[in-house]
Amino acid sequence: MLILTRRVGENVIVGDDIVISVIEVRGDAVRIGIQAPRSVSVHREEVYIELQKANEAAAAAGGASDESLGAAVKELRRDGGPSKG
Amino acid sequence: MTMTAERVQQVRFVEPLPGFADDGTFTFSPIDPDDVLFSLRSVQHPDIRFVLASPGAFFPDYAPDVATLLAGVLGTDDVELLVMLTIGTGLADATANLRAPIVIARSTGRAVQVILEDALLPMRAPLLGL
Repeated sequence: MLILTRRVGENVIVGDDIVISVIEVRGDAVRIGIQAPRSVSVHREEVYIELQKANEAAAAAGGASDESLGAAVKELRRDGGPSKG
Repeated sequence: MTMTAERVQQVRFVEPLPGFADDGTFTFSPIDPDDVLFSLRSVQHPDIRFVLASPGAFFPDYAPDVATLLAGVLGTDDVELLVMLTIGTGLADATANLRAPIVIARSTGRAVQVILEDALLPMRAPLLGL
């Protein structure tokens, strides 16, 4: 890990094409700007980790078969439940 | 929202699905004839299967506008937005991830899971709102 000090308005360059700017510092909060190519996804770490967990839970929940789900949704619609999307 | 009859049968994520970096390609098939639920099964690991839902059927007010935002990534703004479900025993206890929908280009099957900026959108919204 590289540790460095930057002032407001100064940037860090990562690789050839990622620029991280310090926009504002207020108390313990830092506003940063990130310019990156479209191929690089940028996320808040805690949100990304929450999404990883949500996806893993979604994949693990494979108990219900396509047949039972298809029947269940058909039943719901007959009962005036969800409308066609 | 009208659905086109033809749909791609394979979906390829242009960015790895968080948590599933090794699974880029999925078979995509409707579960019910009314196109409410879809199955997304990993080609690399067929035991990995997601269930996606057309949100309009369950969340009528949910229509995030992502087509323009993602046009550069997906190569088109003709996209279909679906939400990922987590299913316990059945639809009654299922939840939907409204914060990070799956967006699929209709013509090519290129897809991405996008994290919406609205932090109030839940990742586990009860599907049937019971």
